[in-house]
Amino acid sequence: MTLLLEQVTKQFGGLAALTDVGFTVNPGEIVGVIGPNGAGKTTLFNLITGVLAPSSGRIIYQKQSLVDFKPHKITELGIARTFQNIRLFEHLTALENVVVGAHCRMKAGLWQGIWRTAAQRQEEKNIREKARELLNLVGIGEDELSLAGALPYGKQRRLEIARALASQPDLLLLDEPAAGMNESETDDLQILIKKIQELGKAVILIEHDMGLVMNICDKLVVLNFGKKIAEGIPKIIQDHPAVIEAYLGKEED
Amino acid sequence: MEFLLNPYYMQLITFIIINAILGISIYLTLSTGQLSLGNAGFMSVGAYTSALLTLKAGVPLYAAVPLGGAAACLLAAIIGIPTTRLRGIYLAIATLGFGEVVRVIILNLKITNGALGLSSIPSMGVMLSKGIAAFGLAGGIGGISVRQLGSIAVILILALILGFLIFFALRLSSSRLGRAFAAIKADEHAAEVSGIDTRYYKLLAFFMGAFVAGIAGGLAAHITFYIGPKDFAYHRAVEILLFAVLGGSDVVWGPILGAVLLTVLPEVLRFATEYREMIYGAILVLMMAFRPQGLISESTLALWRTKLTRQPKIAGQDKVTRRTTP
Repeated sequence: MTLLLEQVTKQFGGLAALTDVGFTVNPGEIVGVIGPNGAGKTTLFNLITGVLAPSSGRIIYQKQSLVDFKPHKITELGIARTFQNIRLFEHLTALENVVVGAHCRMKAGLWQGIWRTAAQRQEEKNIREKARELLNLVGIGEDELSLAGALPYGKQRRLEIARALASQPDLLLLDEPAAGMNESETDDLQILIKKIQELGKAVILIEHDMGLVMNICDKLVVLNFGKKIAEGIPKIIQDHPAVIEAYLGKEED
Repeated sequence: MEFLLNPYYMQLITFIIINAILGISIYLTLSTGQLSLGNAGFMSVGAYTSALLTLKAGVPLYAAVPLGGAAACLLAAIIGIPTTRLRGIYLAIATLGFGEVVRVIILNLKITNGALGLSSIPSMGVMLSKGIAAFGLAGGIGGISVRQLGSIAVILILALILGFLIFFALRLSSSRLGRAFAAIKADEHAAEVSGIDTRYYKLLAFFMGAFVAGIAGGLAAHITFYIGPKDFAYHRAVEILLFAVLGGSDVVWGPILGAVLLTVLPEVLRFATEYREMIYGAILVLMMAFRPQGLISESTLALWRTKLTRQPKIAGQDKVTRRTTP
């Protein structure tokens, strides 16, 4: 089991953003988290990545509790994420963005960087090579020298995924990666997520694009008003009465 | 030659170099996006520590200056741990307050001689002149007196220190740590989630800025023979900030250019001494209106690089302005 959530609750003052949410993610599994806006999906990501601390409940990643870990430590443990509203380092190049993502897998300290020791140069060379591979994987290899902020929207989304992959995660959290993408871009994204799965990584996907979600997810978790209302394989979720009522029904109206 | 060896110009050059070092100190903290106005305070700690160590404890100059830097660093640890949690304008205000607290403490302590300040601080120039005289050049060489040789030696030493700091800053910015700094500056939250210990690196940058400011203070103390609490008041904090605002804080050359310009400018405008603060204010406003990134930014450097080397431009880099959001 890669990730286990148990009765996770998050309250903001009197408002319960999440109540007793629990599910598991197995190695190499793609889990979709769906639900209407404000259902608590992004809050869930913020709890897993340590940006917020849960009010109660347990979050266990590879047999280790994540509660009380700082975000950078959690990234080091092997969980990486992208953001709903893209957050790249805009005036760094695409390649530099990916290299920054590999920060926690690098060792060179201050003085090694200043004196450019042999070990430091070797590390830089290796990491740049790996970063290029990742840029190629997400399909923007030819843009490595462009400033991240100058890339078109779809490529920025891909770059963000490459940056997240650079930290060599076992679990990747994607927050609405298809938002604002047209159909062909979404198809490419679907292929990319499948490729990431083939690399042996588990993925949790928050997404409103039902076509994408139904196609690639091994399991779906449905949230509404901070509560889990259903969980299961896409086929079952599609016909689940509570889900249709809360979410899919509205979509079809 | 005679013209350049004029003590006035020699003095001006030493001030330019010391201000350039201060420019690097604010660049280092700004490279993580932290706006610290405490560098004048750290400078005063460095200056007083170094001056007192030489005056009262007889510590040799070459040891006292780094110790001044270390003292500034120590103080940075005490105030940095709580304040680096603050962001933007809150950090600026907290560090500005810190600078004033340091000034008031210095003003009221006996050992710092209060408002009168410390005078007859061992001079670097005199020390070096003596050394040169002892070397058998008491009569000077080629019509250059031993005093002038001492001043030249001071400038050389300062230039070496500045050179090393520039080298340090340039190497830093292209290393793993420098990238972490840049990432924190661009988006602290994204940096943290990308696996960067933002708190650690922000503190590190804060320390480095404090250390360099402390060194600059120590050097200044041993060049001017006299330091007083007024030298490190509010206007000094703003002056250091102006180096970065005028020159730019993207690349280390920015604050250095700012320091050079803002040191030379008051000398050129000597006839307008009363209007100095007004001119500073006007520069600030004009820069914010027309060139918020400062005179030198990364794209400026890229432009000059392509102009000088005439290499084909890298795709997408020529028309890119910083921080463009689609």
